[in-house]
Amino acid sequence: MNANQETAATQDMIVCRDVHKWFGQFHAVRGITTTVKQGQVVVVFGPSGSGKSTFIRMINRLDEHQKGDIIVDGIELTDDIRNIESIRREVGMVFQSFNLFPHLTVMENITLAPSRVRKWPKDKATEVAMGLLDRVGIPEQATKYPAQLSGGQQQRVAIARALAMQPKIMLFDEPTSALDPEMIKEVLDVMQELAASGMTMIVVTHEMGFAQEVSDRMLMFDHGNIVEDGSPDQIFNNPQEDRTKLFLSQIL
Amino acid sequence: MVANAHSLDSPALPPPRSETGAIGWARENLFNSRFNGVLTVLAAIAIILTLWFSIRWAASEADWKVVTRLGSQFVIGQYNTESACPGQNCAWRPQVGLLLGIFLLGMAWGVAGKSIAKPVALTAAIAVSAMAFVPYSLDRMGWDTRLLLLANLPAVFAGLALARYTPLGNVRGIILAGVAAFSLTLVLLGGWVPGLQPVPVLRWGGLLLNVILAVAGIALSLPIGILLALGRRSHLPVVKTLCVVFIEVFRGVPLITLLFMSQVVVPLAFPQDFSQNSLFRAAIVITLFSSAYMAENIRGGLQSLHPGQAEAARALGLHGWQITFLISLPQAIRNVIPAIVGQFIALFKDTSLVYIIGMLDVVEIGRAFIQGNPEYLASAKELFIFLAIVFWIFTYGMSYVSRRVEQNLGVGTR
Repeated sequence: MNANQETAATQDMIVCRDVHKWFGQFHAVRGITTTVKQGQVVVVFGPSGSGKSTFIRMINRLDEHQKGDIIVDGIELTDDIRNIESIRREVGMVFQSFNLFPHLTVMENITLAPSRVRKWPKDKATEVAMGLLDRVGIPEQATKYPAQLSGGQQQRVAIARALAMQPKIMLFDEPTSALDPEMIKEVLDVMQELAASGMTMIVVTHEMGFAQEVSDRMLMFDHGNIVEDGSPDQIFNNPQEDRTKLFLSQIL
Repeated sequence: MVANAHSLDSPALPPPRSETGAIGWARENLFNSRFNGVLTVLAAIAIILTLWFSIRWAASEADWKVVTRLGSQFVIGQYNTESACPGQNCAWRPQVGLLLGIFLLGMAWGVAGKSIAKPVALTAAIAVSAMAFVPYSLDRMGWDTRLLLLANLPAVFAGLALARYTPLGNVRGIILAGVAAFSLTLVLLGGWVPGLQPVPVLRWGGLLLNVILAVAGIALSLPIGILLALGRRSHLPVVKTLCVVFIEVFRGVPLITLLFMSQVVVPLAFPQDFSQNSLFRAAIVITLFSSAYMAENIRGGLQSLHPGQAEAARALGLHGWQITFLISLPQAIRNVIPAIVGQFIALFKDTSLVYIIGMLDVVEIGRAFIQGNPEYLASAKELFIFLAIVFWIFTYGMSYVSRRVEQNLGVGTR
């Protein structure tokens, strides 16, 4: 589906083995085992409360798993703070509600982490940031504050902010769910370009057009587990599970 | 945002005439119903009568001689009296402190550029310099005093130049210069250098005393309050408990009680040289009292933040302290500027309470004067009205500056 499939076979970027997570008594994630290869674009979908968001939030340890193993880029996620910090440098995340820092300009939002975490000099951080703003199509907004931008523009800044750390993996947690319809496409276009560049991506979304066109693989979640795992072609045209059929019939 | 399809064919018309302009405004806001129209007329009559009688009283009946009679005592209390500073004219020492303050405002103007700092610095410098031309004699003050007052005008520009043309032209430079200027002022006032006549702190008084206590209290209670607020939100049970106990104890006891207690308790904790110093004691108590309130204001600001902010920062790989000082605190403090400035204003007014431990602040100077000079008893109301106006000018200045700062910072909010 994309040009990087031959290299995709080379390396396991994310390995999950029997991963569990509880919120209090609620068993949110119930023994997930899966592997994401380098350069793969994985769409995660399923009913609300099925553990999709929790699954991707465990990959950069915004949520901690309580049982099982998660190995990201060869580093196992444990309580060791150094491991967590080195993982977070390699994993970018984009949120449903953008979460831009309202007191900083667009440029400052993007350069903050590279200059504070990667310790880049200001010139380099600014140069990289300008390049990324060009890439997401809004170089003219660099000096504005987030509140002066439309939702679609804010989400593109959020993508640029995550990319500024030059991550190996990008996680998207329902990146278009908070957007007005006419702005969804501009964000999906950026994500499509990113996928074509060979980025490893996990995207929680219900944009089935995007899934069909861009993803290599789709994971259907229900009740804290993966109930079906296949190519978009297989999921849309020949779903094996009744739950997948039912869910797709409800959203399409 | 998106062009309305109709705007392509229908031109945008101006609103009807009666909706705009002074008449439209008055109709909308003053006379939009019969009842409101009557209220407007009654309120206007009340305001005009009040103003008429106030101005007539202030201009013809009131006897403001008491204000000129007290003169410089309002500003420095009994600092420059024969008993405090025998054989010398010590008026120049607080004046140097004033010069340094105006100099700092000039620096702020240089750093902040086109903002509220410029009008504040210029207004203050001009107003202070203009005091040099006050016609009545300032007791024990000669031409040197008036010249030092005039020097405030060049001082503001010296500060401006320092900020513009040297590496000190940033916030860090202002803080450094501020600490240096405040320390130098205290040393000069106390005469704690060889060759200067020492002046005991009990002789420091007037507005000078209020301002010294307020500056120390404001400069220290904000950082202490921030630490207490962070401590109260800490996951470490010992830190959290200590902060909660501190806040609840200092918030739960009247300031007057704390000032009384300081005379007994502070000597237990500090070396005798310090604990003998009533100014030091008062500054500690006022700072800690204000810090407890400040902590709760800032905690409120921290709680108003969306958890997604810290999450996004964590996802970018920032550490805990970086998240606190780069993401959470700047937003939290901005959200509660009105509450913080309210606390600063309360602190400034509360500095008057040090009369309880025998210090002559500006209000106590006035009260003591009336008590000691019964012939001025009838002028007490003029005196206290004057004092109220002096306090109001300071507190309104703080409130006005904070509103302008909020507007400047508000560019990116929501």
